[in-house]
Amino acid sequence: METMIRIENVTKTFSGREGKVEALKGISLSINKGEIYGIIGMSGAGKSTLVRCLNFLEKPTTGTVFIEDQDLSSLGERRLREVRTDIAMIFQHFNLLMQRNVLDNVCFPMEIRGEKKAQARKRAMELLEIVGLTQKAESYPAQLSGGQKQRVAIARALANNPKILLCDEATSALDPTTTKAILKLLQEINKKYGITMVVITHEMAVVQEICTHVAIIDAGELVEKGTVEEVFSNPQTAAARRLVFMADKPTEKMKGKRCIRIVFDGKSSFEPVIANMILECRAPVNILMADTKDIGGIAYGQMVLQLPEDDTAAERMIRFLQERKLTVKELDSYVE
Amino acid sequence: MWNNATVMMLAEGTLVTLYMTLVSTLFAYILGLPMGIALVLTAKEGLRPNQIIYKLLDTVVNVVRSIPFLILLILVIPLTRAIVGQSYGATATIVPLTLAAAPFVARMVESSLLEVDKGVIEAAQSMGAGLWTIVWKVMLGEARTSLIVGGTIALGTILGYSAMAGAVGGGGLGDIAIRYGYHRYQTDIMLVTVVLLVLLVQILQYVGTKLSKKLDRRLK
Repeated sequence: METMIRIENVTKTFSGREGKVEALKGISLSINKGEIYGIIGMSGAGKSTLVRCLNFLEKPTTGTVFIEDQDLSSLGERRLREVRTDIAMIFQHFNLLMQRNVLDNVCFPMEIRGEKKAQARKRAMELLEIVGLTQKAESYPAQLSGGQKQRVAIARALANNPKILLCDEATSALDPTTTKAILKLLQEINKKYGITMVVITHEMAVVQEICTHVAIIDAGELVEKGTVEEVFSNPQTAAARRLVFMADKPTEKMKGKRCIRIVFDGKSSFEPVIANMILECRAPVNILMADTKDIGGIAYGQMVLQLPEDDTAAERMIRFLQERKLTVKELDSYVE
Repeated sequence: MWNNATVMMLAEGTLVTLYMTLVSTLFAYILGLPMGIALVLTAKEGLRPNQIIYKLLDTVVNVVRSIPFLILLILVIPLTRAIVGQSYGATATIVPLTLAAAPFVARMVESSLLEVDKGVIEAAQSMGAGLWTIVWKVMLGEARTSLIVGGTIALGTILGYSAMAGAVGGGGLGDIAIRYGYHRYQTDIMLVTVVLLVLLVQILQYVGTKLSKKLDRRLK
């Protein structure tokens, strides 16, 4: 796989009124060509700063970023601007020029690059076709809905045939239906043009919907990374679990002693495992926590079960689950 | 008393006032627009932060703005003489008018440009836009209606200042009002000049507001 973006040990420190704030603490990450890479984290985790380091809108305090083996920190202002035409970006609040109509907004990046006006307009119309907005070419952004504005922004982003598209919370201001439509459009664009995408979001659903890989950022640190399946099915860190399972709160006091965590990592079939286990072992279990998700038609997630006090029944249950190739981990107590 | 000569005088006064106002506003923008842009760019959150230049501009603007216009008019007489060759008359008045209005214009431009959405500027940067593209196409382009409103306010203010210049023989309607109304107790002529001044301001304001609305694409 060809590496498109390589982030090496990037730190970013802001010095504000309340002293220094470490927004990024030594982040390293490598993104391959054609991937849709999700970067997820709570608000304030540093993901927006990180994405701005990818086109040097924010210059890292230490460390650097390579785009196709080109070290951005080694570039002068002019060369950096040239490289930026290869790295398009879309935003949460669309950031369209409000005083220009849709067509002129899409023409803007080409105008910056010095493209001839007629040529730019022709290309802009093609781009509006891709995002399905040819009807609105003469409209102004104020006349468009949120979803339409983001489509204009996507058309604008594609204007200079970028190699990379950075999406900074691109669907966070949109309703769920519009979000789906925009994500679908992004996915199509990724497939059709092979543009590498970096998707910054705080929403699990977005990553699940389109990303191939994901990195989890927590308090300026990269805590976990990998394919979406790996990370979502079996999150290793507390921060990742917090995001993936949202409510990983300490559970109330429990009566039983033995607890197990079962991980669904896509290998199991669609068999209703827990129900069958209860039927076969003829003993009840207490489901303390369950959070499974359907990703690409396969179940991922985890469950915490409290086993019956009877040891033989408990052992049988664990064996039953292991036979079905589920990862079973015995917990000392289910309080983390 | 309402003979041809008076009417001619008032008509000429109106034209002279317009001449002083428009030319001074033009020069005030030639000086003030770059100053306003520089204030925004060199500010702490600007695209080219520069404490020294910012502080310097900021201080100059504040100092000049705090000098009463009538005093400034007298203070800059040597400069006026050097530029125009004489210190009285309509053309001479343009020098102090420009100097008084430029810092005011700079502040208006500054506040208009600060209204421009930071996100749009960031978007332009992400597209590889250079500083001047951002200033011309994004900042000035997006702020245009606010700039026009500012320009209208500037015109009105400069018109008012130009009337004051009448006190030192500046010409125009203000001059007429002081000479006839104040020195010769011809209240009627003074009233007419006041009405004419009010009309001028009204017309400028009307045109300015219309224009800014017409050019604003955000509401529709």
